[in-house]
Amino acid sequence: MSSPLENLETQLEMFIENVRQIRIIVSDFQPQGQSVLNQKIQSLVTGLQEVDKLKSQVHDIHVPTEVFDYIDQGRNPQLYTKDCIDKALAKNEEVKGKIDSYKRFKSHLLSELSKTFPNEIAKYKAIRGGE
Amino acid sequence: MMSDQFRKVEPYSPKSSPRGARSPVVSRQDSSGTLKTTISLGKNPSIVHSGPFYLMKEPPGECELTGATNLMAYYGLEHSYSKFNGKKLKESLSSFLPNLPGILDGPGQEDNSTLGSVIAKRPIGGKELLPLTSAQLAGFRLHPGPLPEQYRYVSATPPKRHKTKHKKHKHKDGVPSGQETPLQDSSNPDTYEKKHKKQKRHDDDKERKKRKKEKKRKKQKHSPEHGGLTPSQHPLP
Repeated sequence: MSSPLENLETQLEMFIENVRQIRIIVSDFQPQGQSVLNQKIQSLVTGLQEVDKLKSQVHDIHVPTEVFDYIDQGRNPQLYTKDCIDKALAKNEEVKGKIDSYKRFKSHLLSELSKTFPNEIAKYKAIRGGE
Repeated sequence: MMSDQFRKVEPYSPKSSPRGARSPVVSRQDSSGTLKTTISLGKNPSIVHSGPFYLMKEPPGECELTGATNLMAYYGLEHSYSKFNGKKLKESLSSFLPNLPGILDGPGQEDNSTLGSVIAKRPIGGKELLPLTSAQLAGFRLHPGPLPEQYRYVSATPPKRHKTKHKKHKHKDGVPSGQETPLQDSSNPDTYEKKHKKQKRHDDDKERKKRKKEKKRKKQKHSPEHGGLTPSQHPLP
């Protein structure tokens, strides 16, 4: 069984195909095409009903509104995903760098303090459990 | 004005605390001058002896997941990362939606078809979708003939589309030039799938034909498999 998103995608593609066919019919309309056009218009309504039925299956899927900006500009929305991944990776590396720097700073500070205040640092380490 | 008020109040202000410099609540037990207690205020004020250091607090609890972890690997997103960073993504929207007809890559603002406008101005909803009655359908009765010139720009399709292949093919069969692909019943998903598959098969067949053209010309004429009909010309089951 296909996923709710695949179902929705298929329904939307069918709907778009239907609209495309209506466009072809009306672009050079022939009198005998009226009944076909009427059928197509009814199938538009049916298509909308099908899409409406599927909304309950996809209500838990959240789409960031920034994606719409990409689509509205005629850009590939996967570029948004790529940008997000790049940003997340850069931030991850930045935070890791900070954490590593603080760790190095802490050990350096302790070693320097223990040279100047050996008794106090020994007490401190005893309290902190040998940190 | 303000300075005058302060001047008036000043004579009544005590010059020193009646209890001296000592805090009224907490008495100092440590005469050495080293404060070794932590004082908590609030609902339950408390005084905790915290050892020989000033302002020493409990260290924050160890967190399993921090920014020091490779979060991409932790959440199993390495595949997505390599997918999007391994190859160069095509910029255009049409490369993401190759099956959609029409021109997609232009900015939506040009024809007011942006998704943003759907959010900004929500369409009327909440009404039941019902098929049109015959009286309502009468509103869609059209005059025969082609569309006026100013509405035809919508019909333009990008040249690289697969649809154009169909167009050429259909011209041979004598279908009117306005029709790019045969009008199939799109309400049936099976038919819709078949349309895509057939197109692929048709391309394969063309190549195969080219290769065997000279050798099997005579056979092709009589063989039912390689006969005059291309796969797309076979009637639908």
